[in-house]
Formats: sequence, structure tokens, C-alpha cells
Amino acid sequence: MTLVERDRELKLADRVAAVKRPAPKPATIASVAVLASLVVLGVLSIGGLGFSLPEIIGSLNNIPQFVARTLPWAWPGWHYDRDSATLVSDGWAPVWSILAAIASTIGIVIAGTFLAFLVSIPIAYGAARNTTPHAVVLVICRALGIVARAIPAVAFASIFVFLFSLGPLPGILAFFLHSIGMISKMMADAIEQIDEGPRLAIRSTGGSKAQEFWSGVVPQALPAWIAVGLHRADINLRETVILGYVGVAGLGLELSNAIHVLNYRRAFPIVLMIIVLCILFEVVSSIVRSRMLGVRPIGNGIGDTMVRAAAKRSTKIAVAITKPGSTEARAVAIQASMKRPWTGERMASRVAVWVAALVIVGSFVASQAKWSDLLTFWGNLPILLKKDNLWPPTFGIYSPEQVVNAVFVTFQVAFAATLMSAILSIVIGSLAARNVAPNRYVRNGFRVLLLVTRGVPELILAIIFVIVTGLGAQAGTLALAIGGVGLLGKLIADSLEEVPNGPERAISALGATRPQVYFASTVPMSIPAFVSHLLYMLEQNVRAATLLGIVGGGGIGLFLIDSLRVSNYAQASMFIILITLLVIVIEAVAIGIRRALK
Amino acid sequence: MTVSDITVVEITDLGKFYPGAADAALSGVSLTVRRGEVVVLLGLSGSGKSTLLRHIDGLELPSSGSVRALGEEVPALRGTALRALRGRIGFIFQQFEIVGPLTVLENVLTGSLSTLRGPRIGIWTYPRALRLKALGHLDRVGLLERAYQRADTLSGGQQQRVAIARALMQDPEILLADEPVASLDPESSSQVMSLIREIAAERGLTVVCSLHQVELALGWGDRIIGLRAGQVVLDTTTDGLTRDQVMEIYGRVATTTRELQAIEQELSEVRDALLSEELQKDDLQKKDRERDEDAR
Repeated sequence: MTLVERDRELKLADRVAAVKRPAPKPATIASVAVLASLVVLGVLSIGGLGFSLPEIIGSLNNIPQFVARTLPWAWPGWHYDRDSATLVSDGWAPVWSILAAIASTIGIVIAGTFLAFLVSIPIAYGAARNTTPHAVVLVICRALGIVARAIPAVAFASIFVFLFSLGPLPGILAFFLHSIGMISKMMADAIEQIDEGPRLAIRSTGGSKAQEFWSGVVPQALPAWIAVGLHRADINLRETVILGYVGVAGLGLELSNAIHVLNYRRAFPIVLMIIVLCILFEVVSSIVRSRMLGVRPIGNGIGDTMVRAAAKRSTKIAVAITKPGSTEARAVAIQASMKRPWTGERMASRVAVWVAALVIVGSFVASQAKWSDLLTFWGNLPILLKKDNLWPPTFGIYSPEQVVNAVFVTFQVAFAATLMSAILSIVIGSLAARNVAPNRYVRNGFRVLLLVTRGVPELILAIIFVIVTGLGAQAGTLALAIGGVGLLGKLIADSLEEVPNGPERAISALGATRPQVYFASTVPMSIPAFVSHLLYMLEQNVRAATLLGIVGGGGIGLFLIDSLRVSNYAQASMFIILITLLVIVIEAVAIGIRRALK
Repeated sequence: MTVSDITVVEITDLGKFYPGAADAALSGVSLTVRRGEVVVLLGLSGSGKSTLLRHIDGLELPSSGSVRALGEEVPALRGTALRALRGRIGFIFQQFEIVGPLTVLENVLTGSLSTLRGPRIGIWTYPRALRLKALGHLDRVGLLERAYQRADTLSGGQQQRVAIARALMQDPEILLADEPVASLDPESSSQVMSLIREIAAERGLTVVCSLHQVELALGWGDRIIGLRAGQVVLDTTTDGLTRDQVMEIYGRVATTTRELQAIEQELSEVRDALLSEELQKDDLQKKDRERDEDAR
């Protein structure tokens, strides 16, 4: 090395040393902090809950024994005879009663969601920034939504079960009140996202506020509203299981009864029915939703073909009208146009409206709710309000330490489950992304896996794990961990696919392998989305963990269900308040962190 | 066409300041419009044309000065009285502003809302006579056969014609049009402009229409009012007026920073529009590719 070269190198070293390192953005620090703390807390929680590999492997040995206790499945209409070890028929009566339970479950869900939908319209009107009549109204309407969202449906249901006695009505009212929270908020969001122009145009023709709303705002927001309602009905159907545990009629109650007497042969067919029902409902609602979003009938199915055929016939009418002619002919044409032609579109929408109306009316009938209770329950109020029946709330038989410990376990479950599903989801989600998976069979295979996982309600998973591994926080954690993969994996796969693919192409063009492209471009670009999904997952898991105890999955929910079981409502009200507060705190913290990430 | 001596719009020393904006949107604007006149408001974007039109319909409140329309002091009107006045004035928007998910016919029917009490949703909630009238107006703008289609399935030019039919439902005495063809291709533009002109002639309507193309304005209106930086810089009849004369006064040449900004803004809008078109094309191609892939 010559002196000159050496000199140059020294100078370069100086210059390198002098290169400024800009401080990282606050959002970057926040995401790193979130990721790091999630990992640390997750690992600590997994340790704290006493997970250990040998134990998990040990419990795998239970499986044959468990299977022996569950098989053969006793479908409704049969029962297992222990002595002869065969299934004995009970006739048709139990079949009808389970069908009635299915109808009642769907009825409760749809009736409750529909009532919430109706009531949410005025609340959303007041809660949307662009339609609210006054700032005070805005605050009140938003507060209503937040409170309704914070109180779990199961909390409402347990209060109503006390007021109205067991049956479908508490379920309908619980879904009604709790769903207002989500539906009214998302409806208001939809109102805020409309195009203001048409509304202004209606104002300019001299329309009143109400006319502006119904002619300018509602037509634009309605598809989004209906989608929200269907989505919420989906979620409510999954929650009917837990309402069954506090005494709301339907499939959940049947399941809870079967598990209560440890009759797993009867429980598993019901579990399967619930899963199938959830998946079917989701498929139907997604078909309706995609139609609402304006998807054209271009498929090869029977429905689309029929709709297209009908549309063809109606063009005759259209042609007849368009023929040019004299003033008289025009007048005739205008008169003829007063009758709206039966186009395929019109027929389809007419049929849809009638089907929807039938389904909704049918739900109110099928739920078999005793609506008269709404008039008579006032008689129960004095008993309810009598001191020590519901008020003041008390920890009762539980010591404060026990309660604090249960809350602590609830958080442990949530953090442990979030870490577990994150690890599983990164692998499965990546393989389900088009730009990462080696070929489309792998991608589609994992997509289907995620879809099926998402279809199974977490509470059902929790019940299965409780049966397999026994009561306790570990069962709850595993249920949340596996159930979470369905959602988190999909979110991760979607955000990987949404990454701009220019850099990916550039890096693979310079000769990088697939894994190199993945780590050099795909992953770094999707990290912000990943952090926010993870946070969302954690929030969901904390909410779910507060309730898992109800089905035996450990944590604070256990205390609630035990209080209800012994009809100690003063104690139950304490835990309802505690759970509600926990949910509000979590939501507030999550909102705060999201702000920091922006 | 006859222009009477009756004044229908009288604006005196109108000023409008938006909080936070450096310059006034309008300052010291005074003008009168007589019944039956067809007036063009000419100016670059940002010169205050839309703001001026919106004041006449009571969609904006002035910071100073007075706006009288059809004998009423517009800013003083509230509630029912304001709605009644708006019912007598038709307004055509640059972006059409029709309600996409509703049928074409129902969009036209919304023009009659000021004469009806209470909200309406669905064609059948409007009286039969109004429906017949709306169909007649649709026939006038050449869209009768589209009456029962969703409005967002129409092209831009057709949507603007629906908006014109909606304004006709009001039986307006004044028609205000805010850059009615700025979002349309040349072919639809001339269709829409001549439609407005014809309708004005048929009904003896007073029309105030804002435009930014000098060529379009010259052949079309009876009178041109030029706006620059919120002030009236030109007010003359079009008889014998040449393009150069207009250009001289109105000037495409920027004389103030504000105008420079306006021209820049216009250019960047055009660029953005082109760019987004390009992006959409890309997007569509990508979607097509994906669909092909899925199909395979």
C-alpha cells in the first residue's frame, strides 16, 4: 500500500466516522418497543403458566384415552349404552328438539343483531362528524357506543337471565345491546366516508336535513351498513356458545348441558354442528356482502346464469322505449316508462328484499322468545334492587389476592397466546402469501387452512382443549393461540401480498434466492403492518381471555361463572364491572399505542 | 331571447375570507344579473368563481357585503325560507354530484324534495305526478331509456345530463352551473353546453355558468364576467368581442403570484389525473393477470 493510498483510506475512515446517524423516528422506536415487550412478556407468560414440553408430550398420550371416552359419537336421537357399548335409538323427538335449538340460535342472533342495526341508525347519525346536529350529541352518541362495546354480551346476558329467567329473550337483548357498540361505530365511520357532493347537491335543491340524510347519505352508506350488520351477526353467532353457558337457550345451552354431565359423546356432535353452522353462516354472509359491494353476476353458477337470462329478455322493453318519434310518441314513451321494467337486476333486488324480510321475521318467530316477559319483568326489579341482591358489588368468597391473581393470569394467557400465534402465523401466513409461497398450490393450501381455522369459534376450541387437557389456563392459552392463527395468519398473508413488488423484482433480478428476497424486501416492508396486526391480536386476546374462564379456561371469567352458578348476583355484578373495566382499559391502552406508532 | 329589466341577482361589495387563507377568496364583488340573461363567469381555478356561485344559492355565507337573489337577501335566510329559495334556484356541479347507488329516475326526483315534506327513499315514495314529470325531463335530456339504471353506471356526460334533469325538476328561475363540463371530454362537453343553452332558451331561464375556457365562453353566453383573484376584472356583452380582446384583459399571462399558483395547480391536477389513470390501468392489468393466474 502506498502512502497516498493509505492517506486516502484514512481520510475515508474519518469521513465514514463523521457520517451522521439520524435518530430513529418515534414510530420506529415505538414499534421496536412493542415487538420487544410482546416477546419478553410472551416468554415470561408461557413460563408463568407452567407450559413445559414434557408435559405437552405427556398430554398427547391422553389422546387415545380421550378418544375412547368420546367415541362413538351419540348424535341427537341416540344415546350410548354403557353396558352393551352400543348406541341405542331414542326416536325422533331429540332430533326435533336439536333442530329447534339450531333455529332458536340463529333466530336469537339475527333478531338481536337486527334490533341493534335499527337502533344504531340514529346513534350513527349523531356520532358521525358530518351529520351530527351538535357537538354534545356527538359526544353522547359516541359514549353510548363505547359503553355498549365495553360490556361483554355475556355480562348483559347474565343480568337478563336473572331478570327474565332462562330462555332466548336474554340472548336477544344481550346481542342487541352489545352489538350497538360496534355497529353504530362502524355505521358512523361509513357515513363519514361518503362523498359529500351528492349531499350538497340535495341541499342546493332545497332539501331539508332529513331529506339530505335519506336521499344523499343513506343510499351511499347502505351497502357498508348491511355489510357491518352481517359481519356482526357472524361474530354474534360465535358468541352464542358462551351465552349458553349462562343459560341462554339454543345450541350453546345444549352443549353446556352435555359438558356439565361430562357426556362428551353427546357434546362432540353438537360442537361439530356449531362449527358447521358458523362456517355456513360466514359463507352465506360473505356471498351477500360481495353482492352488496356491487359484484356483477359473471359466474357460471345456476343463480348467475338465471339472472343473466332474465336481463336479456328485458332489453326488449328498453328498445321499445328508445325508438325515436313525434311528440305524441314521446308522450306515449314517457307514459310507458311509468311502469318500471322487470329487469334481472330489479327481480334480483326484489327477491333479496323479500328473502331478507322473511329471514328477519322468521328469526323473531324461530327464536321462540317470550316477548311478554318484557312487560312483566318489572315485577322482578324491586327484588333486583334490594340491597345485597345485585348491589353493592362484592368480592364475596374471593380474597382480593385471588382476584388480582386471576386478572394476572388473564393477562398471562393473552400474552402467551399472542406470542404463540404470532410464531405460527409468521410461518403459515408467509406460506399463504402469493409473493412468498413457492407455488400456488402451497399458497392456496395454506389459505384454506387459515380459512377453516378462522371458521372455528375460539370458545369451541377452548372447550375442546378443556376436555382434552383439563380445566385451566393452559387450555385457554392453547385455544387462543391456535384460534388466533386463523385471523393473524390471514392478516399477515394479506399484508405481505400488499407489499409493493418493485423492490422484490429488483432484488430477484440481481440474482437473489427466494428466501433472500423475502428477508431483504418483503419482510422489512411489511413490518409496520405486522406490528399493528399483532397489537390488534393482543387486544382481542385480552378480551377473549377475560371470558375464557366461563368455559373453564382459567382467569377472571371463572369467578363470574361460579358466582352465577350459585346465584350470587352481588358477587357476579362485581366481576361484570371488573371485566368491563379491564376491556375499557385495554382498548384505551391500545388506542394510545396505535397513536404512538403513527 | 328577451332580457327583461327585472334584476334577479344583485351582489353588492361581496367579500369572503376563509380563516387561515392568506388572500380573500372574493373582495368587493358587485354585479347584477337580469332575468333571462345567460352569463358566463370566466376565470382560472382559484379565482373565486365557485365561491361566488355558492353564495347565490346560500351554500356559503359572505364575510361582508350583500347577496340578493329573486328579491331575497340570501345570507339572512334560514330554515324553510332558505330551502324555499334554493328550490327556485337550480345548481349544476362540476362533479355532477348525483347519488350513485340510486336509480337515474330517483336522482331526478330528488330535485323536487324542496316541495315535499319529510324524507323519501325509493321511487314509489314520490307522487305519481312528479314521477311523470321526472320522466319527461329525462326524455328532454335524452336519457329516458336509462330511467331505471343505477346512476353510477352512466358515463360522465350522461351523469351531468341527469344532474340537469334534476335541476329542471325544481322548475328553477335561475340556473347556476359551476364548471359543468370541466370533468368531461370535448364531445360530451359540447352536448352538455348546448343542452343548457337550449333549455335556457325554451324556458327563458336566467343562467350563470362558470367556465375557464375562453373559447367555450365566447360562443355561448350573452355576457362575460371575468374574475381574477376574487375581483371582477371584466364585465361585458359578447357581441363583437374577440378572443384576443378577452385574453388581453383576462390574460392567460400570470400577473400575480396567486395566478401563477393557480396555473401551477391546474397543471398539477392534470398531471395527477393522468398519473392516476395510468395507475388504474396498471392496477387493472395486475388484477387481470391475477385473475388469469387464479383461473389457471
